[in-house]
Amino acid sequence: MEPGEIHALLGENGAGKSTLMNVLYGLLTPDEGEILVDDVPQRFGSPRDAIGAGIGMVHQHFMLVPVFTVAENVMLGAEHTTGIGWLNRRKARRDVAEVSERYGLRVDPDALVEDLPVGIQQRVEIIKALVREVDLLILDEPTAVLTPQEIDDLLDVMRSLKDAGKSIVFITHKLKEVKAIADRITVIRRGQVVGAAQPDASEDELAALMVGRSVKLTVDKLPASPGDPVLDVAGLAVVDDRGQRVVDDIDLEVRHGEILGVAGVEGNGQTELIEAIMGLRPAIGGTVRLNGRAIHDTLGHQYGTTSDILARGVGYVPADRGHDGLVADFSVAENLVLDTYRRPPYGKGLSLRPTAIRESARERIDEFDVRTSSYTTAVGTLSGGNQQKVVVAREMSRPLELLIAAQPTRGVDVGSTEFIHGRIVAERDRGTGVLLVSSELDEILALADRIAVMYRGKVLAVVGPDTPRERIGLLMAGVTGESAAEETDE
Amino acid sequence: MKATATARWLLRKETVLRRVRGVRLVTVLAVGGLSLAVAAGCGKPPAKNASGGSGGGQYKACMVTDTGGIDDHSFNASAWQGMQDAKAADSSVVVQNTQSSSEQDYEPNLTKFVQAKCDLIVGVGGLMADAVTKVAKANPKQQFAIIDANVALSNVYSMQFNTAQPAFQAGYLAAGMSKTGKVATYGGLKIPPVTIYEDGFAEGVAYYNQQKHKSVKLLGWDEKSQKGVFANSFTDQNKGQSITKTFLSQGADIVLPVAGGTAQGTASTTAASNGKQSTIFVDFDGCVSASTYCKTFLTSVTKGIAGSVKDAVVAGQKGKPLTGSYIGDLKNKGVGLAPYHDWDSKVPGALKTEVTQIGADIESGKITVKSTAQPK
Amino acid sequence: MSSDEERPGGGPADPDGGAPGTGTETATAPAKRSGPRAAVPGDAKRTRTGIVIDALTTANTFTVTVLAIVLALAVGAVVIALSDQAVLDSMKYFFARPGDTFAAAGHAIGTAYAALFTGSIVDPETLNEAWWGMTSWSSVLSPISETLTYAAPLIGTGLAVALAFRAGMFNIGAQGQAMMGAIGAGLVGFMVPWPPVIGVIAALLGGLVGGGLWGLLAGWLKAKFGAHEVITTIMLNYIAAPSFVTWLVTQHGVQQPGRNDPISKAVEPNAQLPHLFGSGLRANLAIILVVGAALVVSWLLRRSTLGFEFRAVGSNPNAARTAGISLNRTYLLVMLFAGVLAGLGGASIVLGNTPNAITPSVVGSIGFDGITVALLGRGRPVGTVLAGLLFGALQAGAGQMQVTSQVPIEVSTIIQSLIVIFVAAPALVRAIFRLRAQRVGALGQNLAKGWNG
Repeated sequence: MEPGEIHALLGENGAGKSTLMNVLYGLLTPDEGEILVDDVPQRFGSPRDAIGAGIGMVHQHFMLVPVFTVAENVMLGAEHTTGIGWLNRRKARRDVAEVSERYGLRVDPDALVEDLPVGIQQRVEIIKALVREVDLLILDEPTAVLTPQEIDDLLDVMRSLKDAGKSIVFITHKLKEVKAIADRITVIRRGQVVGAAQPDASEDELAALMVGRSVKLTVDKLPASPGDPVLDVAGLAVVDDRGQRVVDDIDLEVRHGEILGVAGVEGNGQTELIEAIMGLRPAIGGTVRLNGRAIHDTLGHQYGTTSDILARGVGYVPADRGHDGLVADFSVAENLVLDTYRRPPYGKGLSLRPTAIRESARERIDEFDVRTSSYTTAVGTLSGGNQQKVVVAREMSRPLELLIAAQPTRGVDVGSTEFIHGRIVAERDRGTGVLLVSSELDEILALADRIAVMYRGKVLAVVGPDTPRERIGLLMAGVTGESAAEETDE
Repeated sequence: MKATATARWLLRKETVLRRVRGVRLVTVLAVGGLSLAVAAGCGKPPAKNASGGSGGGQYKACMVTDTGGIDDHSFNASAWQGMQDAKAADSSVVVQNTQSSSEQDYEPNLTKFVQAKCDLIVGVGGLMADAVTKVAKANPKQQFAIIDANVALSNVYSMQFNTAQPAFQAGYLAAGMSKTGKVATYGGLKIPPVTIYEDGFAEGVAYYNQQKHKSVKLLGWDEKSQKGVFANSFTDQNKGQSITKTFLSQGADIVLPVAGGTAQGTASTTAASNGKQSTIFVDFDGCVSASTYCKTFLTSVTKGIAGSVKDAVVAGQKGKPLTGSYIGDLKNKGVGLAPYHDWDSKVPGALKTEVTQIGADIESGKITVKSTAQPK
Repeated sequence: MSSDEERPGGGPADPDGGAPGTGTETATAPAKRSGPRAAVPGDAKRTRTGIVIDALTTANTFTVTVLAIVLALAVGAVVIALSDQAVLDSMKYFFARPGDTFAAAGHAIGTAYAALFTGSIVDPETLNEAWWGMTSWSSVLSPISETLTYAAPLIGTGLAVALAFRAGMFNIGAQGQAMMGAIGAGLVGFMVPWPPVIGVIAALLGGLVGGGLWGLLAGWLKAKFGAHEVITTIMLNYIAAPSFVTWLVTQHGVQQPGRNDPISKAVEPNAQLPHLFGSGLRANLAIILVVGAALVVSWLLRRSTLGFEFRAVGSNPNAARTAGISLNRTYLLVMLFAGVLAGLGGASIVLGNTPNAITPSVVGSIGFDGITVALLGRGRPVGTVLAGLLFGALQAGAGQMQVTSQVPIEVSTIIQSLIVIFVAAPALVRAIFRLRAQRVGALGQNLAKGWNG
């Protein structure tokens, strides 16, 4: 690793990128091998040692205290005190201002962290590391939570850091970003360095290195042949747990045999929209109809429970599989029947049918290529991609009218993404209506037949699949141009 | 390989991602279980003393406490005292006790003593009556005794105490000593061995009012309706304190707590009044069993459990049959009023005489104590 | 919480591996997979002996539980020695003749633990005497009978806690539910002059209804108003006893005639549980009933759709809800069932043990002991039965310890509590016995979970 270099560490989920970096940052101790900094072997017992050696890290999940200001967060763990033990806030603020200035990281030192958007919070993390005068900065999947614009900003910041002579290890599995910024690329697979590449290598080559075989990055699909509407949402309004109106007067229509993509940065009401459709959250206004039959009517009445809605031919892949999609302690087999255990052949009366559950589990594992040692393995021990395959396998193994897929490939490696995308298109071709919610614009562009962009609880526009990604990016940030508005014709 | 060079700064070896494993230290365990001296051979054992008893001229007296436990500063403790007194009086007596942690334990504890071949098994407390009845019926040759209950079986010696008699005297005394014209009492639980004190106390107060045409009021117990204040505990001193404080704030200056260890809370409260308020202890002479508070004890209503138990054990040891019922009263000195101790100088001589006279009148039948809780 | 035991059709991973169609290896590496699966090093080479040694030296549930018991007995031994007069006397000249102290301690501990054993399992001396016809065989069964008698109610309340626990709820209310069960059984048992058999069934049903309703009340408060079950069940405990029961049993028609203290009439003999080993021994039908209940609970959790829902809700309520499982229905049903089980425990005391009547303290502390039993049993029905038997044995043996070696009963309570503490702190046990950490799943997680459910 040279000074002033951006080194991309590329690998699938579970390849060991994060583990490697945690070792480097002193969070884990290596079983064998050495770390050399400036040719001197180092042993890091804790992050403090690593910081001392000039290594800083920005984690995938931020480690900030929401109710503290930026300056307070920055000084946390390295509090400067004056002679008699007062916290030296002024110095902290000065440090923040100075670092922001030097690297073009504009941040208000007195803002409360909880009030800042995700992209700015990430800057605070970076400033935290820079204030401690690190030379090597590790960024662990920094773009996973950002909007396209924020990603561009981050890449700019990285460039200016590089110009200032800092080295950066950039961990990701997103090929576009790697190509855009990396000076050098190392690919890791199953804990082994499997190759190095230059940024001019094609995306296909990089993907092949990562997965260990050649993969298709684009989804082959025929034009959609939409039929009758399967899902009709009109004027829907929903409040979140805090009573905020986060879905505000939304109209949507999904037809049989088409994929409607809902694009948008997370937290703009997508989750609540889906939960309302699934009967998991009451609607405070508007209607939802499935095949013409109401789920929510204008009077605010809900017809049927979530269980009934599922039974009416809705498949639901929730956005957060760990939180909503899987029971981690349950076996793969049990998770595969999590919403069908009551129905034949899996259950009869009060009794479960273990044989049927087992048989079906074996078939699903085979069909969806779930890599598990056994169907009795607890789902929580599988890798993220395989967990997602379990959810997808469960929801797509019965005749569907409507498939609601939220972030279906989040944290899923390239190989599994390819597979899941293929299944979604196949489901569409079978005549199922698909509501695809994703914050990954690439995914929306690859799959959707029509694209609805959500911003602050409203659908800003419904556009065609060949709309330029810049325009969709702007819509996701809430910018409606004249041209975008024109196409809101659905 | 180029890759290795690239990652040189990372780690020297490529395979870094082996599981971080715990310290592998194989300790082969020899969990032998409990080595019980079981294997003593299986020959025919020598015949044991078939008539029960532990042989060797010993007389084994065993006692089962109720849930109050052996340190209850009340009847369990006095019964155990009696057992030890018997042992001191006769070296051939051996004594044992076992404590019950719940009502469920009474029966098995009694049964275990039957199996342990005790000569005499003493059950303490009226709540054990059912269990004693059951076990005594099942073991008709085994000698039992019970305190504070009457079990009409030929192998059970029932020991009861008519504490209403001395409590009557105490009531009269309290009424005569009260400056505020209000006295109070409360119980541990609403069971006859408790309410009998309260009945007697109430009658004593009433008798004083009738004799002297006064109207000293009694708080905490109404004999007619059998309703009153109960701590629902024989151990909770805090409860005793709070009940007592309530009484005192209502104007009472003498309190009779019939609640075992809870009474300590009352004593500590009245002790803080510099002699303005006082406590009448029960079961024991308080100046002996709770001597720290002696200065606040006007007197104590004593219940001769220790003496009676000692007598029963000694009689049993001598081979006398223990059967029927014993009722301790003023006449046989099974119950009584303790000395005034620190208050001796403060109680007027006339009042002392009257109290003594009342005792004599009860013995002679001139005064009848009416409490329905009295043993028959 | 991850165990193969509860998986439908799962069973522990087949140690023989790879029996065609059923083995665990079939799904791992079909030829079409691109890369070899990252195998756990050495997995393939593990022999059967290796597995056994592994199991014994790894901090798995079983090993930790056994060692926790060993540790608790060791600490208990110290307490016994220190509470023995002979030991204390000899300690005064410890440095002159330390041997005396050790001999005295050895004697004290030996006799105490021998009594613990002879009071709860079997007395070899009695066995020998019975063999030679010097005593009845029923006296040989006496210790076991005592153990079973103490264990039965504990298993009932233990199951009540364990079932709720598996559904993510912490049922502190087994005490109150057992009390209401005792009341239900008692009232039905003495109100009517029952004919044989029917009386027992009716009284038991009364107990199940009483406990079940009390549990259901907590479930309803949670489902309807979101009241946390820990709070509501504790409060319901207070309401059940002493408040409600004391009032009830002093009412005319309920209170035992001729008694002034809070005790109800005695249950009709026809409504009392029949004894198992003759009238001389206390063991009664209760133990059969609770073991039956454990089997039902085991089936419910493993093989029924309801149990599937319970476990799903217990493990991840969000995912359960998303999959269409009604949380409220689950709360209601779980607390109803839990109440029924605790009610069975309470009923078994009133219908089985002297004085066969309702009193405010008739159920002792079985509800709270049930929590420890369920914790020790790891929330599993079979584990709960075993833990209940262990605690029953400790209680029965404690009486014998008291009788033969004058060891205070508190020692038994100390041992019981220590077992649970050690089980709850597996890291401590691991450190003491230098066990390796278990590969998958954190032990003790089980005990820590549930509070936030």
